[in-house]
Amino acid sequence: MVLERTQTLKSLHPLAWWAWAIGIGIAVNGTTNPLLLALIALALVWVVLLRRSSAPWARSVRAYLILGGFVIAMRVFFQIVIGAKTGDTILFALPEIPLPDWAAGIRLGGPITAEALAYTINDALRLAVLLLCLGAANALANPRQALRSMPAALYEASAAVVVALSVAPQLIESGQRVLKARRTRGTNTKGLRSLASVILPVMADSIERSMSLAAGMEARGFARTRGLPVRGSLTLMISSSMLATLGAFVLLSTDFRLLAVGCLVIGLVGAGFGLRLAGKRLAVTRYRQQPWRVRDTVVSGFGLLAAVVVLTIGGLNPNDLSASLLQWLDPQALFPSTDPLTWPQLSVPMLLVVGLVAAPLAVTGKDRIDVTESVRNDTMVRSLRPKAEILVTS
Amino acid sequence: MTSYLGTVPDSHRQRVSLALASTIIVGATSFAWPLFLAPSSGMKPEQAVWVFALVLPMVLATILAELTSGRMDVKALAMLGVLAAFGTVLRPLSAGTAGFELIFFLIILAGRVYGPSFGFALGAITLFTSALITSGVGPWLPYQMISAGFVGLFAGLLPKASGKAELALLASYGMLSAFAYGWFMDFAFWPFGIGNSTQLSFDPAASPLTNLHRFVLYNLATSMGWNLGRALTNAALIALLGTPLLRLLRRSARKAQLAGPAIAASTSE
Repeated sequence: MVLERTQTLKSLHPLAWWAWAIGIGIAVNGTTNPLLLALIALALVWVVLLRRSSAPWARSVRAYLILGGFVIAMRVFFQIVIGAKTGDTILFALPEIPLPDWAAGIRLGGPITAEALAYTINDALRLAVLLLCLGAANALANPRQALRSMPAALYEASAAVVVALSVAPQLIESGQRVLKARRTRGTNTKGLRSLASVILPVMADSIERSMSLAAGMEARGFARTRGLPVRGSLTLMISSSMLATLGAFVLLSTDFRLLAVGCLVIGLVGAGFGLRLAGKRLAVTRYRQQPWRVRDTVVSGFGLLAAVVVLTIGGLNPNDLSASLLQWLDPQALFPSTDPLTWPQLSVPMLLVVGLVAAPLAVTGKDRIDVTESVRNDTMVRSLRPKAEILVTS
Repeated sequence: MTSYLGTVPDSHRQRVSLALASTIIVGATSFAWPLFLAPSSGMKPEQAVWVFALVLPMVLATILAELTSGRMDVKALAMLGVLAAFGTVLRPLSAGTAGFELIFFLIILAGRVYGPSFGFALGAITLFTSALITSGVGPWLPYQMISAGFVGLFAGLLPKASGKAELALLASYGMLSAFAYGWFMDFAFWPFGIGNSTQLSFDPAASPLTNLHRFVLYNLATSMGWNLGRALTNAALIALLGTPLLRLLRRSARKAQLAGPAIAASTSE
């Protein structure tokens, strides 16, 4: 008897995790308070460690932590070597080397001030936590499930992605076979030239595979249900994306913010509508579509609420607030001054934001994997499935 | 223009060209944003990347929907998937070793054989799939997809040549495109990479020329080695594998074309 693991549909919708993470990302973008950023990072890691599955992509958060550390280290290094000098608190001084004229008059080294360093670390920490948000979404959301939520117009493109995702493990296996064969013959298996000699047979193999795959797909009627493109969908999509680009251009280069945001929103909505229209030519149904439940809305809401809280407080004018309200909300604490140096403060709304980051823990459970008795007896199909999905063979 | 898998009517080709042209315009704008960011607009340089990270997926969806739907027959789609899988497997092998990037030579050769639209689709889909596998989804992904797509697109538009001349042409295109890819990506993510407070940072108040000068210096100081490594890898792999791989890809294109009408004729009755 063979037992198989299957991903249950009880897990949170991948797009809900993404909405949550993007909301937190927007919130993170609106502050440079290192205390708040550190707390958000801790909460993110906490949620990921408790809610991630055992899938390979769930291990990505470590890579993002390393990347964040690298970003901070690189920013600090450049600040020390070629940073602009601000502030008076000199920590130490490096010998100063002026570069020739063609290098825009840059001076290497010089005195390193605490103010400039604090500014750089705060700013880099914000970017590192932003990266961690993306890492959390990558670790928590199941990419295969997310592919199911692609718009119908991208059906063929998603089919190509699915083919790529499922052929990739076979290619690795095929490459290992070729390498093994070369090793048994006593040929050298290192260096660029031998890599080339592995690539060629694997490539020939994979092209053969694509031919038989195409024949298989055709035999099963793939692409027989699609009609001609819907008239006007391309025009709509192109003009909308042009409008959105124009909106972005205006937003970045002028003061007409309302016009710019209007163009952006109309462009994005138009493109979405165009995609729907373009998808109409397909007469296909979806298999095991992931439902969007109340819980998904709640988790996305946590992220968006965190963004709203930070942006609202950041947008308040301190002069309009009464003294008690000012002390309670404290908009300036979001951007603690680094020149003159001050110690960052935490306020009550910031703790609320940290609470919102950790809130999905309360409404989601540990991602369970159902173990079912396999109904498939064909070992060929099973051998092609990812190893993580097959549990026990006895 | 080199042949596409299967046969494509002229009206379709026009639509595809229109979509590709608009992608080039949008892509160029979104990569060149540091040149037109005004200090008065109230946007911080880091935020501009996010604005375009919102627009670019829409453009990508438009172009990919147009390229794949109805235009590509099943053989081309399967070939797209398998070649993208190949790139996906090769990419983690090359990660972390100074610019030793193994995906571009394949995108270039496939773009050369199967034409610009296949090249674009392959570049974009390879980067997307490998981001899914290595969990590298982020605001940089649409930028990477578009620029890798361009690498494949222009490979399909290279002039006619054969034999040694073709190999030399492709290898030099491989070097050039490796630098272009690196420069475009670095330019779009410049404020991300280095922050705002150094002498090599992007300065919205300065003129575009001053900013370009600063960027060149920043690029020389940080990623020249990576770009050079990528360029040399591309050229070496194309020189080494170009002839047999081109033969392999062309043979399959011929096979697909021969089989295509026969199958269509037998099923349409």
